[in-house]
Amino acid sequence: MTHTATPSSGGDVRLHRISKTYGSFTAVQPLDLTIPAGSFFALLGASGCGKTTTLRMIAGLEEPTTGTVELSGQDVTALPPYKRQVNTVFQNYALFPHLDIYENVAFGLRRRGVKSVKKQVEEMLDLVQLGPMARRRPQQLSGGQQQRVAVARALINHPEVLLLDEPLGALDLKLRRQMQLELKRIQTEVGITFVHVTHDQEEAMTMADTVAVMNGGRVEQLGAPAELYENPATTFVANFLGTSNLIPAEVTEADGTALVLTAGGATLRLPTRRCNTPARKGEKVLAGFRPEKVALAHADDAAAVPEGHNRMAGRVRIASFIGVSTQYVVDVPGVGELSVYEQNIGRDGRLVPGADVVLHWEPEHTFGLDAAQSLLAGTTDDEGAELDGEAA
Amino acid sequence: MTATAAPAPPDEQSDDEALPLRRTPARKRLVPYWLLLPGILWLIVFFAAPLVYQASTSIQTGSLEEGFKVTWHFATYWDALAEYWPQFVRSVGYAAVATVLCLLLGYPLAYLIAFKAGRWRNLVMILVIAPFFTSFLIRTLAWKTILADGGPVVGALNALHLLDVTSALGITEGHRVLATPLAVVCGLTYNFLPFMVLPLYTSLERIDPRLHEAAGDLYARPATTFRRVTFPLSMPGVVAGTLLTFIPAAGDYINSELLGSTDQKMIGNVIQSQFLRVLDYPTAAALSFLLMAAILAMVTLYIRKSGTEDLV
Repeated sequence: MTHTATPSSGGDVRLHRISKTYGSFTAVQPLDLTIPAGSFFALLGASGCGKTTTLRMIAGLEEPTTGTVELSGQDVTALPPYKRQVNTVFQNYALFPHLDIYENVAFGLRRRGVKSVKKQVEEMLDLVQLGPMARRRPQQLSGGQQQRVAVARALINHPEVLLLDEPLGALDLKLRRQMQLELKRIQTEVGITFVHVTHDQEEAMTMADTVAVMNGGRVEQLGAPAELYENPATTFVANFLGTSNLIPAEVTEADGTALVLTAGGATLRLPTRRCNTPARKGEKVLAGFRPEKVALAHADDAAAVPEGHNRMAGRVRIASFIGVSTQYVVDVPGVGELSVYEQNIGRDGRLVPGADVVLHWEPEHTFGLDAAQSLLAGTTDDEGAELDGEAA
Repeated sequence: MTATAAPAPPDEQSDDEALPLRRTPARKRLVPYWLLLPGILWLIVFFAAPLVYQASTSIQTGSLEEGFKVTWHFATYWDALAEYWPQFVRSVGYAAVATVLCLLLGYPLAYLIAFKAGRWRNLVMILVIAPFFTSFLIRTLAWKTILADGGPVVGALNALHLLDVTSALGITEGHRVLATPLAVVCGLTYNFLPFMVLPLYTSLERIDPRLHEAAGDLYARPATTFRRVTFPLSMPGVVAGTLLTFIPAAGDYINSELLGSTDQKMIGNVIQSQFLRVLDYPTAAALSFLLMAAILAMVTLYIRKSGTEDLV
């Protein structure tokens, strides 16, 4: 959020009260957003959340219903795409099938009347490591190569802002990881503002400096990836970025620095500054914590749980060995099922389904959310079984 | 034996047992050819055989009373060409003009249907095909009424003095449209327009709309986008459409017969009258072969020139 305070300069994108409605459907709610120059900014959300529409309004491919788009301090709302210093890497790349790679990359330069494109095109093809492919047609290239052509074709124009619409969606997982690093490298090298639309939370967190999580045409939360992950402001963000255990709880004590909560008979402590909602004694909040921050101890070792940790007793229902970790679903009476991810360092052989266990974690790793939200917001099918844990 | 043979691969079985097993895949391999057979027979009976018959007719001499005999009289070709070359040139000319007009009229229409019609797309497509619900002859006769001397179209053209312009250009005569080149070309254009629109629509509709967006995003104005992206990508449709229009138009005789006069006779009219009225079968057959050869040559040249082999 500190990024938004940057004063206007070259490459800034400012959206003022921008919205888009199609008939009675509102794709994007009035939105204010400042994307500082030189940053790698991600719009993250499930399909239909308005992220692509927002991107297309910046590109000029979609006309906003209300509001304005500013690029480097200039209002471009009324300008057609071909007059904006913005280039887009399209989903599925939209390479021109009748032109070879060289002409695809040279397209923007030629349209702007640049006389000698040879040197620039060759340099750009080298940057994306496609020099030898210059005379091939797009359909003769692999998905990853096509993706790099799309990036080269956009970047060669030195846009103030590069827009990327799910640029890695069509690639397989391994190639996607590789291209994420590649794009990050290119962005650092050229220093252009990148606005990246994705539904893949891991992709957004890997690449972006700032992530805006969108849901239902609104920005739910904006911030650095670590900040969003550690301190989600809504249940949607808590569930959409990684996995969270969310428990309805009641505030029983509130002093200046910490809240004491009861949930399912257990007493939990929550630092006041980690609570995203004003909570007074007697009110309800949602207590959340990440599965990987929780430690699991067999009931026989309950005495060994460090003093001051939040703790809850339960019984292991499912234990799945993943390799790097073991994922447990623990049934906690009065609360429901909670997820726990344990690193496979010193596996306790007693932690099998049916075993009585104690979950414990540092109060610092608890976050508090407004109780008037759906516990299930932001849970998606992609994350499948992992999510069963918080279907409490 | 049966117990051990069952799990063994067919190769290791004795010849007696293996034979029926080997024949089955062979029969399966022949299935596609059997399915092709009716079509091939049809082509042989109704295309190849008449072609051979016509070829032999074209080199025969004789008369209807005495009968025709194959005398390898190739001079018929030269005589026919020498006598009827103006009709040949006219046919190619009319067909070319009609094809260009079809392209100019059909392209915007196909573009509209492919990109702008939205939910009206199917309705407009039906309207394009609708003329096929009546016969070619009836439609051309309707044009005779539309272009009639006392009709509103000719009246309006006269009132606007447009017919003076077209007369000066030599495509109409006096204050009428019927029995002029304009009428024949109008008829050809109208009748073959759907053959232009349908392939154009098919190739335009296949273009990913995001390519237009990408071109716009890369600083191409709408006109440039059309010239650099849309039109080149629609070339397969342009080639298919022009061929489907030009080839039948060059051989057509109905439009000239109904809308033109003796001065607008096309090669089709000549062939038709040689076959059915003059009963000079060798000349008619020779003219048919000359038309076929001319069209084949022009089409081959055109496809080479347009360089769309790798797009089609």
